[in-house]
Amino acid sequence: MAVEVTPVGSAGPLPPVGPPVAAPSPEPLRPVGAGHFVRLKLRVMRNNFRGQGWRIALYVVGALFALWFAVSGFFLFAAPGLADRSDFAVLAAAFGGGLLVLGWTLLPLVLFGVDETLDPARFALLPLTRRTLVTGMFAAALVGIPAVAALLATSGLVVTAWLLGGWSAGLVTAVGVVAGLLLCVAASRAVTSAFATMLRSRRIRDLAAILLAVLAALIGPLQIVVLAAVQRADWDQLAGVADVVGWTPFGAAYTAGIDLAQGRVWAAPVKLLITVLTIGALLWWWSRSLESAMVGAASGGTAAKRRQAAGTPVAQLFPRIAGWVRRDRFGALVAREARYWWRDARRRANLITIAVVGVFVPVMVNIGSQGLVGGEQDFSASPTTVTLSMVFVGVLASVTLANQFGFDGSAYAANVIAGVPGQVELRARAVAFSLYVVPLLVAISVIVAVVLREPAWIGVMAGSLFAAYGAGLAINVFVSILGAYALPETSNPFAVNSGAGVAKGLLTMVSMVASVGVTTPMVAATALLGGIWYWLALPVGLAYGFGAAVLGTYLAGDVLDRRMPELLTAVTPRR
Amino acid sequence: MTGTEHAALALRGLVKQFDGKVAVAGVDLDVPAGSFFGLLGPNGAGKTTTLSMAVGLLRPDAGGAWVLGHDVWGDPVQAKRLFGVMPDGVRLFDRLTGAELLAYHGLLRGMDPTVVDQRATELLDVLALADADRTLVVDYSAGMKKKIGLACALLHGPRLLVLDEPFEAVDPVSAALIRDILHRYVGGGGTVVFSSHVMEVVERLCTHVAILAEGTIKRVGTLHDVRGDRSLEDVFVEVVGGRTATGEELAWLSR
Repeated sequence: MAVEVTPVGSAGPLPPVGPPVAAPSPEPLRPVGAGHFVRLKLRVMRNNFRGQGWRIALYVVGALFALWFAVSGFFLFAAPGLADRSDFAVLAAAFGGGLLVLGWTLLPLVLFGVDETLDPARFALLPLTRRTLVTGMFAAALVGIPAVAALLATSGLVVTAWLLGGWSAGLVTAVGVVAGLLLCVAASRAVTSAFATMLRSRRIRDLAAILLAVLAALIGPLQIVVLAAVQRADWDQLAGVADVVGWTPFGAAYTAGIDLAQGRVWAAPVKLLITVLTIGALLWWWSRSLESAMVGAASGGTAAKRRQAAGTPVAQLFPRIAGWVRRDRFGALVAREARYWWRDARRRANLITIAVVGVFVPVMVNIGSQGLVGGEQDFSASPTTVTLSMVFVGVLASVTLANQFGFDGSAYAANVIAGVPGQVELRARAVAFSLYVVPLLVAISVIVAVVLREPAWIGVMAGSLFAAYGAGLAINVFVSILGAYALPETSNPFAVNSGAGVAKGLLTMVSMVASVGVTTPMVAATALLGGIWYWLALPVGLAYGFGAAVLGTYLAGDVLDRRMPELLTAVTPRR
Repeated sequence: MTGTEHAALALRGLVKQFDGKVAVAGVDLDVPAGSFFGLLGPNGAGKTTTLSMAVGLLRPDAGGAWVLGHDVWGDPVQAKRLFGVMPDGVRLFDRLTGAELLAYHGLLRGMDPTVVDQRATELLDVLALADADRTLVVDYSAGMKKKIGLACALLHGPRLLVLDEPFEAVDPVSAALIRDILHRYVGGGGTVVFSSHVMEVVERLCTHVAILAEGTIKRVGTLHDVRGDRSLEDVFVEVVGGRTATGEELAWLSR
């Protein structure tokens, strides 16, 4: 919905469109600048807030969080300068800046989504050149809390460079920090846009899944290197790595000024050039996928042919994965949800995330703290750390349902009109999601047990995984009813509305904390009970998770029965 | 509630505000059973809002709705069995094929699977959607989407059909087909309520009309009562209070 007709009409400074009749226009066309897009975005954001008190409140809370992060970041980046430690300056600039760029690139894919207040498809009919569109969208993307927070945090480096190398170094760092921000935004836009295009095409979705896995895997090795280096406190080695990172696009922008401060004058322009070239390449990449996003949305995508068409309508509705379900109301809900988890790009992206994160987080946490660090005893993996990481994975899987009705959007009206009882609805949704997630969780337990070479722990791992998943389901059915919000009707699975991004983050956080809270008995039992828990954990965890999920859907069903119309209004995109 | 027992749809004092802006300001309406009822109104008159409140999709700020004597908001389970709805501007579960969507709706209504299969196949045939067997509804044309929406509303054999803009964006061939089906449905004892702003369609189909403007019912009655011996369009424009272009403005159009 993002861009509505009314706000556009009232925005005033709109790109001029030629007169409808006469082809050779006698009126001069005013050029369309990036400012138009920025003003349009601000206007749309303001209109989205109108009369929505809770949205403003969420936005303010999000802004305060961002401010807190920004200020802490600022002092971390400024610390080497204030302490007059030139050696730390390179570390902070290279690693801090590099992590920032990496985070901007990957986190929108995995966690936050990308603010699509200005949907590119809305501009498809306007006579705009690709260059105008990309610069405009880019400028608009720079407007927002995350960009401001990142700029504020990294400007701590300017202080550092100034104190270490005088005003010239400070000035170059200021340029570098701004360039770094441009790089961050360009990277996040280019990567999400490219992925959105890929996931839209059903043929390439498997490739996209693998690519996403590889991208996420990049976090792993980096983390090991950093952890290893920190553990050994081998500053020379760390500084060596920092130097290398400083010459990659990740750190170049942020280390340019520090180089100048340390006397390597020639390095600064080269590094800035690297950054500028990278930004250019990313924008070019973005413009390619932007065009296909516009055209794809306008033509309604490719007509997808389904292969199977045999059998009666009812037989067609039920996919093989849900073939065993009864042919009744509950069964129909399960079957439709099961189909949707696969056919809807937005939902599929969530499943892929669970699979990737579910394997990597436990492996990283436990291997990263085990052998590779150098065999230090106080960091070895234990059933407790494994349980904790498994609880995280289980909760993460269940949080996917935190806005389960938002996935449906206004289509949920069909269920309201049919008067589906709340408990049936919620139970069916949980079952359909579990059809995919439970095998995934079993696989994750096995893989992690194999990788950690601790087959005896598999009971503890699977037990805590399912306990956390079930408890998370119980919490998230409530969140999904009471905290539902509309997702924009675009084909970009990573898109969220402005404001809704903050809402999504906060809701996710609240429901994760609550779910972890509900699962703490499992963690406590692992830490306190000894060997016997290895055998008890699986049955107890299964019963715990199943019981929690049943109780949650039972109680939340009554809430849903009373709030169906309100829920429908909440998930219907405003038009 | 005297009188409402016999009405297929009775609305009493429906009010809805959005952010302090009144969308519907007290609508009272009785739709007689067996009638073909047209709800007329200009864009933004509150037609969709009124119908949404009538079928339980949008909670009214005040007032209520009764379907064949059953309170939509007090006893939704009973009331919802009796009617079928085709909302406008609402997506279908469009990542299913037409057949899958019908099967879903049928089972959701608690119907027997064999009956669902038989009726769904028949509806797909009659509405000329059987060829699109393998296509997802999201890839349907606008007219096909309207037709599959109508099929979903008809599938469980409701006594009342509530259709929001059923002829919007539908080509003449599909529109004729939809008209035929609705005629047959009313002939068989059903009641149809539909909203529209196309006068020709309403004049051709309806036994009763109501004109809704600025959130209230301005005129209501049989088609003959409302239009008298004038054309419905004249009455409508007079009631709604439109303006006609003088020819002075938009001079640049005729360059």
